[in-house]
Amino acid sequence: MARVIFENTGKQYGAMWALRGLHARFEPGETVSVIGPNGSGKTTLIKCLLGLVHPSTGSIQVNGQPVNGDPAYRHQVGHMPQISRFPNELKIGQLIDLMDDIRSSGMDRAQGPLVKELGVDAMMDKRLGTLSGGQRQKVSAVLAFRYAPTVLVLDEPTAGLDPLSAELLLAAVRDIKRSGCTVLITSHLMEEVEALADRVAYLQEGRLQFLLSPEEITGATGLQRLSKAIPALLTRNAKAHVESV
Amino acid sequence: MWKVYKYTLIDLARNKFVGGWLLLLLAITAGLFQLEDQPVKAMLSLSQVLLALVPLVSCIFAIVYLYDALEFTELLAVQPLHRSKILGGQLLALSTALALGALLGAGLPLLIFFPGGASLTLALACFMLTLVFTAIGALIAIKNREKARGVGLGLVIWFLFVLVYDAVLLWIMFAFSDYPIEPWIVPLAALDPIDLGRIMVLLKVDLAAMMGYSGAIYEKFFGNLRGILVAMAALAAWVAVPSAVAFKAFRKKDF
Repeated sequence: MARVIFENTGKQYGAMWALRGLHARFEPGETVSVIGPNGSGKTTLIKCLLGLVHPSTGSIQVNGQPVNGDPAYRHQVGHMPQISRFPNELKIGQLIDLMDDIRSSGMDRAQGPLVKELGVDAMMDKRLGTLSGGQRQKVSAVLAFRYAPTVLVLDEPTAGLDPLSAELLLAAVRDIKRSGCTVLITSHLMEEVEALADRVAYLQEGRLQFLLSPEEITGATGLQRLSKAIPALLTRNAKAHVESV
Repeated sequence: MWKVYKYTLIDLARNKFVGGWLLLLLAITAGLFQLEDQPVKAMLSLSQVLLALVPLVSCIFAIVYLYDALEFTELLAVQPLHRSKILGGQLLALSTALALGALLGAGLPLLIFFPGGASLTLALACFMLTLVFTAIGALIAIKNREKARGVGLGLVIWFLFVLVYDAVLLWIMFAFSDYPIEPWIVPLAALDPIDLGRIMVLLKVDLAAMMGYSGAIYEKFFGNLRGILVAMAALAAWVAVPSAVAFKAFRKKDF
């Protein structure tokens, strides 16, 4: 059974559809890069999956459980948002304790994926209000990977991270994928998409334009680089659409 | 809910504004009793200041805190938690921090400088108004996406309750004094939580006579235990109704 299923999922804000008629299935152990221009519906798709936004049409299932039902399905979900802000006066260690409490995890706060690698173990007594943007992203990454998720949602995960930390994060993504986790990742960096994606979902004006593997995209266009092949594919599809009309 | 409550309270306990609020109340209360020769006059001035300031600070602080915590609330909302538990924890922690500030900053010195029923009633009124306006602030923060708009709305609502509604009520009482409007005055006063607090305190300071016609009506109703209990029930409803609407809105909220 597919790990994540979108059935005719749509979201309307006033007169505008941020996402419409999305049908997609994401399998265990695959990494899907969700790409598209600004305002194309990437964040809405992610927020619908996480239960932060209530879809106007259709449904979403994670591990066979509906997203807008019992929140217990989120035990299986990890999320790293694009921008993280935490309570200023809490310490990093206290934030991890809170999340461990919520997830009923008995793990030591200094243990777990990426804690040592990103240097978060050395910052446990630091107040969250004093952290830089990059340090907040590291804390966010630790929380996303911490509870062995079967679905991991990463929104521009390397934005704001130094190159070494970004590389460590991408290596962690490859590791968790090997363990059978489904990873959804939004990124504007084509190198990241090429390095990680098993399939690429391209959204435009709230509609899914295609959901193909990198090989299918490059094969269809004859171009080797995704950064060139994707625009070429979109142009070809647009021309075909005009001709059919 | 208690996990969210505990860690939100830890954050609030270290918040400079909450500490500053406690010290400000302490300075105002102790200062007024030191400056006035007659404690009853200090008590009267203090009730005017506190019954205006406590709702204002509770409402605006709740709005600003919840807006600033939006990304953290999102982080909690993607955890395996019901949304009602997230808001319950946050609202309870905000109410606890602000109510403790009001009780320790104003209630305690009041009971030291002017022990008696009047001080106790004022402390109780401050406590209830803290809960009422924290709930109203939470509702505003949930229903409005923009912080500036939320704060502006909070100020407008506070101004309506602290001044405008009172003035309208007085005008109604004088304009229709020839008619039998007494049965309507108390229910109309209950529609403004600040007015309710003000009436409860003034009656306890034995200044109802100075309030003239309205004072006589209020004294007749609120001058006994039953009246006080009804006033407290009305204030409790002022906590429950905005809280219930806030919970409903939070369950449906799109982040």
